[in-house]
Amino acid sequence: MQKLHDALERVGKVVLGKDEQIRLAVACMLARGHLLIEDLPGMGKTTLAHALSRIFSLDYQRVQFTSDMLPADILGVSVFDPDSRRFELRKGPVFTQLLLADEINRATPKTQSALLEAMEERQVTQDGESRPLPQPFFVVATQNPLDQGGTFPLPESQLDRFLMRISLGYPAPEAEMSLLRAGDLRERALDMSPALTVAELMALMAEVEQVHASEDLLDYLQRLLEHSRGCGWFTAGLSPRAGLGVLRAARAWALLDKRKYVIPEDIQAVLKPVCEHRLQSASGGTAGGAASRLLEAVPVVR
Amino acid sequence: MRVYQVPQHAFLLLVGGALLAAAPHLLLGPPWLRILLPLLLLARVLIQRGRLAMPGRMVRVVLLAGVVLGTLYTHGTVLGPEAGTCLLIAAFGLKTLEMFRLRDAYVLLVLGYFVLATTFLFYQSPLAALYVFVVMVLLTASLVGINRPETGARSRTHLRLASVMLLQALPLMVLLFVLVPRIAPLWALEFQSEGARTGMSDSMAPGEVSRLTESTELAFRVEFEGAVPSPAERYWRGMTYSLFDGRRWSQASPGGLPRPDLVIFPGQGTAPWHEQLQAQHAAMADTDAAPVYRYRVVQEASRRPWLYTLAVPFVRGPARGIGQVRDFRLVKEGDIEQRFAYSVESYPLLTAAVGLPDWERDFNLALPELGNPRSRQLAQRLFDAEGGDVEAYALRVLAHFRQEPFYYTLEPPLLGGNTVDEFLFDTRRGFCEHYASAFAFMMRAAGVPARIVAGYQGGELNPVGNHLRVHQYHAHAWAEIWIDGQGWVEFDPTGAVAPERIERGMDRFLGREMGALQNLLSGAAFSRNPLLARLRNSIDYLQFSWQKWVLGYDESSQMAFLERWLKDVSPLRIGLVLLIGTVAILLPVALWVLLRRRGPPRSPLQREYRALRKQLLRSNIAVSEGLPPRAVSETVARACPAAADAIRAWVSQYEQAAYAEHADAQALQRLRRLRRALRWRLRRSALSG
Repeated sequence: MQKLHDALERVGKVVLGKDEQIRLAVACMLARGHLLIEDLPGMGKTTLAHALSRIFSLDYQRVQFTSDMLPADILGVSVFDPDSRRFELRKGPVFTQLLLADEINRATPKTQSALLEAMEERQVTQDGESRPLPQPFFVVATQNPLDQGGTFPLPESQLDRFLMRISLGYPAPEAEMSLLRAGDLRERALDMSPALTVAELMALMAEVEQVHASEDLLDYLQRLLEHSRGCGWFTAGLSPRAGLGVLRAARAWALLDKRKYVIPEDIQAVLKPVCEHRLQSASGGTAGGAASRLLEAVPVVR
Repeated sequence: MRVYQVPQHAFLLLVGGALLAAAPHLLLGPPWLRILLPLLLLARVLIQRGRLAMPGRMVRVVLLAGVVLGTLYTHGTVLGPEAGTCLLIAAFGLKTLEMFRLRDAYVLLVLGYFVLATTFLFYQSPLAALYVFVVMVLLTASLVGINRPETGARSRTHLRLASVMLLQALPLMVLLFVLVPRIAPLWALEFQSEGARTGMSDSMAPGEVSRLTESTELAFRVEFEGAVPSPAERYWRGMTYSLFDGRRWSQASPGGLPRPDLVIFPGQGTAPWHEQLQAQHAAMADTDAAPVYRYRVVQEASRRPWLYTLAVPFVRGPARGIGQVRDFRLVKEGDIEQRFAYSVESYPLLTAAVGLPDWERDFNLALPELGNPRSRQLAQRLFDAEGGDVEAYALRVLAHFRQEPFYYTLEPPLLGGNTVDEFLFDTRRGFCEHYASAFAFMMRAAGVPARIVAGYQGGELNPVGNHLRVHQYHAHAWAEIWIDGQGWVEFDPTGAVAPERIERGMDRFLGREMGALQNLLSGAAFSRNPLLARLRNSIDYLQFSWQKWVLGYDESSQMAFLERWLKDVSPLRIGLVLLIGTVAILLPVALWVLLRRRGPPRSPLQREYRALRKQLLRSNIAVSEGLPPRAVSETVARACPAAADAIRAWVSQYEQAAYAEHADAQALQRLRRLRRALRWRLRRSALSG
């Protein structure tokens, strides 16, 4: 546990002033979820992904998505080997532990869905042969919310594959000052020494599942989900999968707080990143502020 | 002491409700009130925002004194409806600066309802009722709001709850309105007169009736049972003028006459003339052949006692406070200060049987000794030419008006000393009062008893409600003379000069005579566009129905209504019907509340959490329901630092009990103990702070 907090602290020295987002990203990893970062270029998305891979000593691959990309560019391709007279798979970048999928919305739906299938199944099927992906397997995808020209926005069904969506945003003035003093921090991210081994990380992930969620807490979560369906604010309410996602994320959040049980604060902390990309406002457009409206409307204790 | 903070989500409703509740009075009230109230509310807004401190006791006392002085200055008193509401509203505004506790907010809202109710003192239209209902929703919504001080609440949900509550109350309101006995007010409200009202007065000089035609105000509405008389028959008699001083005709009677000789109120004895009339009435009522008009007049407040009726009128139904006058009119006991309704039946009786005693003959022959010599000569000459036949003479005078170049105009030239002479021989332009006056003068000069009748002629038929609307511009004056063997016979010299005025109505006549603006005001412009005309008629019908059924639902119509439905009206029966009606209305609501779908029942732990929230509310600490336990404890710690440790202990115990894996059996008791300790802390800090 202590190592985990050291890790958080050290990532915080590279991605300045974003403790909340770092914590969320780590919670997302602990909950075995994939992360979508929606932000403008240059806000530190890549630095964060680098830092996370280094600190947990994970293999790291980066794919810059473009519109002429094919599924094989990610998954790999079978090549005929004349010596052995057999087809051999050249593994694509997806065979890694942490994949940074930059600007995922630039790729065609076909390519997107190849990646998303891999994310869900945690295996790649090619030529009738299934190959498991390494353990653990995380995808950190980014997309630019403003520049929508020539992009293929992810449909809701695929957004659902990401456990959380966060955005980093501009740094606070003090953080920006120290950033300017320190210069580019990406180099430092690459030089970071690991804080946890992969085995330790896997152990923590197993521990997340042991975090206790009481009846009262499940009741609160259930009422939140129900309210999202009955209130008429959204085109569709939260799905059961979203509910499970909230619970997993809340468990991870509780563990980060060194607790063996989930409290309503944990639910409230993760509700926004877990739910807002799954909701669409009934009046059109995205459901900004949806989580805080839900939290305001639903009593914590019945 | 902590000053009570109105929850943000209720504050706008409260201020808006207060402003709108007072708004109708601000329109009527003195200018200083119009400025003061918005200023006070603005001050309250600034206090809420923390830009201004609550005013001290001195400031409030000075403001209160200023308000009382202002009321005294404007109205000369602090009693009576106008001054009372003025003071009430000013005090209502001041109360907003005195909201130190939740209790003060309740007082303010109750005052607000009261202010709202006083709207009906000055406005009684259906629109006013709708307005009051809407503002009542606002006030009720703010009442809902201050009872839910959590920060997360929304104004819109308050509004919805308030609307539902008031709509549920509507059927109950109707039931109470219909059934609860009308009780005479404990004190009479005397309104300060708003200067002279337009309308007929008890005397008439040349030029006065024509001035009335500039007013488009409503005089009264009439609803007929059966046929509506033709325009030429719509002569609404209000007064007779018998005394002429050479210029002005006045309503008067010779001194020293006993009252019963002139007017009989029910239960005040009788007189020969009255018995005569009643006998004739009874005889006529038995024969169905007699032409009769049965109608109900709803008269606007005129501040005079005169009632307006056709031909020879008799009151139908209980005639409380309505007297019969010797000259075939009805009067009310006391002036008409509010809209007044009465049912009448009118017969075209021969009035000779009532008789013309010497005093009445002399009184209706009297002329000033001097003046108008040419008219007297003309009268004598024409009377002699007809050989002394009264009826032929009267027709001869009418023919004179018709044959000579007389003109009927709204703007007659001014007349000097000998009004009748100047009109008859020089100007020859006049309005109805000139013709009636000249006609009556000519009659009296020839020895024929004559008097002027004043009232209204015509009326605009509203086809939607089939009722007549009579406006001030329908004001008219005509004459009647005594013919032996026939009694009093009416003559309208205006009809000889301008027959279209009588037959087609004043509205058409005005349409031709008046300028565009007056045209618009009188509604003549509306009548040309069929759609607008129908709209106007429908609105008029709505107003009339409102007056009849809602405003006119007084003690007597309530009794009549209840007798029809309950047969025997006793307090017991009314009570029973009230009870049954109330149960019938409330039962479905109660069933709905009891049977509607609810979630699973609360556990003891959840009830304990509720109890804590209630505890905090009582100590005036607003906590949103969506706040998780730890945030609750921080809120409480900020609001009341003395209780910080107690609330933290409670919350950490609760968290263990509700969310940890191994809850222990004693947790609930421990929580209760901790809550008691917290209560003690909160109370002590409230007392000492």
